[in-house]
Amino acid sequence: MRGRLLFVLPLIFFYLSITIYPFLYMIYISFFEYNLAAGGVLKFLGVENYVKVFYDPVARGSIFFTSFITVMGIIVETLLGLLLALLVIGVKGERVMRLCFLIPMTIPMAVSGMIWRMLFNTTFGPINYFLSLFGISRISWTGDPFFAPLTILIVDIWQGTPFVFLILYAGLKSIPPVYIEAAMVDGADEWKLTRYIRLPMLRDLIMVVVLLKSIDLLKLFDSVYMITGGGPGTTTYTFSYLIYQVGFITGINLGYASSLSVILLIVIMLLTTTLIRILNVRRLLGR
Amino acid sequence: MKIAPTRIIRYIVLILPFLMFFLFPVYWMVITAIKTSDKWFTWPPTFIPWPFTLDSFLGSGEVYRTASLREVVPFLINSIGISLMTSVLTITLATFTAYSISRFKTGGMRFLSWILSMRMLPPIAVGVPIYVIFYHFGILNTWLALILVYTVFTSSFGVWVLVSFFNDIPRELDEAAYIDGCTLFQAFTKIVLPISLPGIVAVFIISFTLSWGEFLLALLLTYDKAAQTIPVFIGRYITGFQIAWGPIAATGLVAMLPVTILTFIALRYLISGLTLGAVRG
Repeated sequence: MRGRLLFVLPLIFFYLSITIYPFLYMIYISFFEYNLAAGGVLKFLGVENYVKVFYDPVARGSIFFTSFITVMGIIVETLLGLLLALLVIGVKGERVMRLCFLIPMTIPMAVSGMIWRMLFNTTFGPINYFLSLFGISRISWTGDPFFAPLTILIVDIWQGTPFVFLILYAGLKSIPPVYIEAAMVDGADEWKLTRYIRLPMLRDLIMVVVLLKSIDLLKLFDSVYMITGGGPGTTTYTFSYLIYQVGFITGINLGYASSLSVILLIVIMLLTTTLIRILNVRRLLGR
Repeated sequence: MKIAPTRIIRYIVLILPFLMFFLFPVYWMVITAIKTSDKWFTWPPTFIPWPFTLDSFLGSGEVYRTASLREVVPFLINSIGISLMTSVLTITLATFTAYSISRFKTGGMRFLSWILSMRMLPPIAVGVPIYVIFYHFGILNTWLALILVYTVFTSSFGVWVLVSFFNDIPRELDEAAYIDGCTLFQAFTKIVLPISLPGIVAVFIISFTLSWGEFLLALLLTYDKAAQTIPVFIGRYITGFQIAWGPIAATGLVAMLPVTILTFIALRYLISGLTLGAVRG
């Protein structure tokens, strides 16, 4: 049909100018020292910005923390989301319950960061108050190198679990009722239904959830900025927060920030490629 | 009934720890927003906001010295304007592309995967080079800067939702239009677009909520109330010293309500979009 290419050209042109061209430019400046505040002169460094990642202690720390939060977040949120989905299904008041569990997902990250900053407040925060009822003295949630990573994890569990729950719940809903009925005729109890029918049917979906979550968690930034500010020291620097600090706050070194961004981009693209392969996008093109 | 005990255990497990955990933070924001200013900082904390007040919203009474929603208005206008214009641009770009892909498989697998992967890009990696480029073009701290970057993410989302939407519309409809002598453009705008309205509205809503809540890129690319959005206002305020809890909670509530409602309206499409179609809501 004439004109079908014309329909896709605007978007292609848009992506070329807002992503592909900037990315090429970013790869280029990742080989230079580049400081906008100091006049923006490019000084060629070769691969030094890339080598630096391996001996920069802050960068290594942020890679460690990002890995920690990603692994812990995936494990806790997937298990909790699955548990919630299994618990809620078939319960009286299911719709209201589902609605309540989904609310945290709909809240902008900045707003939830603001709420949790109040909740974790050392002097007046309700969390320390609840703990004091059990005789636990005030904890400096954001100032203590042991508790600060935990704080970020708790906030992510709060904000991220509803998404996992939603997807697995929808997956459970789409299991044909005949399977369940047939198994019940054969005398299966709730536990056996879950173990031998529901979980196996969710397997692919759980894989999708894990990949989506890991892509999400590797990019974590908002809650760190809002709640701990990367602190204490650089304990809760995620990779994105490191790039932000290096490129715009402490370092104003856009060359180094670029090389870090290129690394993050490559990791995310690898995960995305895996995800798209699993999802079988071909189906959408009717083949 | 034999199953009664497990059912009761289910309720207790569900309602007590989980509902508390997921809902208490929202409850805390709501009550903080309507507490009188002497109840913001108390030990033990005040859990029942009585008598309540709207001072934090109106900036009246004791609150006027700290902050009020009046200060928020410019940021609110930026958020609304940027989100609306992002949604319009998204629909313009995404509908045509999605139609072409749905009907003619334009670009095949590679093209579709490429579009989908745009949504996964790390915002910081987009932000670093875009900051330098927009700096040279002199469009930092403008609506345009944010609209352009947001559309990268939202249009990827939109194409996905719309391709599956168009796939469900019978081809015979537009084929009949071609036979009657319509061009591709006419068949699309006169026949397909009108019946796709629900899908288009959903994409509009999703684009709106995504750009409304975005934080990192807004933080990088804007620096004052000429273009800063609500999330950045909240972020800058809460990380400062001497924070008045009432007004910031009120601001948070205002920033949350519209998108929470919109998200529930478009939930069905959001599920399919978020999971790249692995689940149909």
